[in-house]
Amino acid sequence: MSDIDAVIHQPVRLRIMASLVTLEATEQVDFTYLRDLLEVTDGNLGAHLRKLEDAGYIGVKKTFVGRKPRTYVRATAKGRSAFESHVDALQRILRAPGEAMSELGPDRA
Amino acid sequence: MEISASEAQESLTQVQDAAERTRKMVAYAGGDVLFVVWGVIWVVGFVRTHFLGLGFHSPRTLAAHWIWTGLIAAGIVITIIVSRRHTPVQSPVGKRIGWFWWLLYAYVCLWTGLLWPFIKVQGADEWQLFWKHYGAIGATVPMFAYVVVGLWLDHFMIWIGLAVTALAVLGLFLLQPYFWLWMAVTGGGTLMATGLLIRNRWR
Repeated sequence: MSDIDAVIHQPVRLRIMASLVTLEATEQVDFTYLRDLLEVTDGNLGAHLRKLEDAGYIGVKKTFVGRKPRTYVRATAKGRSAFESHVDALQRILRAPGEAMSELGPDRA
Repeated sequence: MEISASEAQESLTQVQDAAERTRKMVAYAGGDVLFVVWGVIWVVGFVRTHFLGLGFHSPRTLAAHWIWTGLIAAGIVITIIVSRRHTPVQSPVGKRIGWFWWLLYAYVCLWTGLLWPFIKVQGADEWQLFWKHYGAIGATVPMFAYVVVGLWLDHFMIWIGLAVTALAVLGLFLLQPYFWLWMAVTGGGTLMATGLLIRNRWR
């Protein structure tokens, strides 16, 4: 089951990607709302976003609204495709309970 | 490292939960505050109109116009501030919805201006009746916008828009002497209750 994506499978990153792919391709979400939505800390979310950004799954844009800095996050086309494959792989595991185990790479933390 | 069926199931549940919460966040971010604010504006405006009357024929009735102008201006300013502070998603759809509201308001002003020279109302009683009909239009235009926005975002908005529209029309024809109070309670009350419902249910 090579479609299981070790970067996405980590629970916080899975929920980040699920949230981002729910939006339209042209939409991007505010960092603080994503943090509140996922109920994680700033540092925790920032670390997971960096991993997803390094993988090319998300884009991060820093901007200003008035004088306040704002960070917006969006899923890239590559990220959407990877997430879709990952969810397909999870569903395949459920459909074939006899073959329920799947190999994951080392990058799971 | 391995993934079991139960772990896969748990992951898919998390995916569904995150997607559902995101949809609600997009549809109603800041909506709770705005529903309550506009509900309060309706209650204050309609109650004042009931006691002052509406029209340009006396300082007393003219005051109600100025009160409405002030309330609507305050509502627009609060809406802009809340929308800027509570917008979690930068979206072309969100911007289009904002433009839709401004255009609708501009068109209502235009239509009113175009019709105004042909309005031949005479006497205070006729004016009171005219303003009640105009008030029903003023209350149902934003409800039309709710229905349209609901078609894009969430069917919940459609039901709010249709319900308040039906209540406004019913009140206009069946409870005309108490129309302004009726609109304060049913229209303003519905908006405030909707805001509180959103806050308690989806936050």
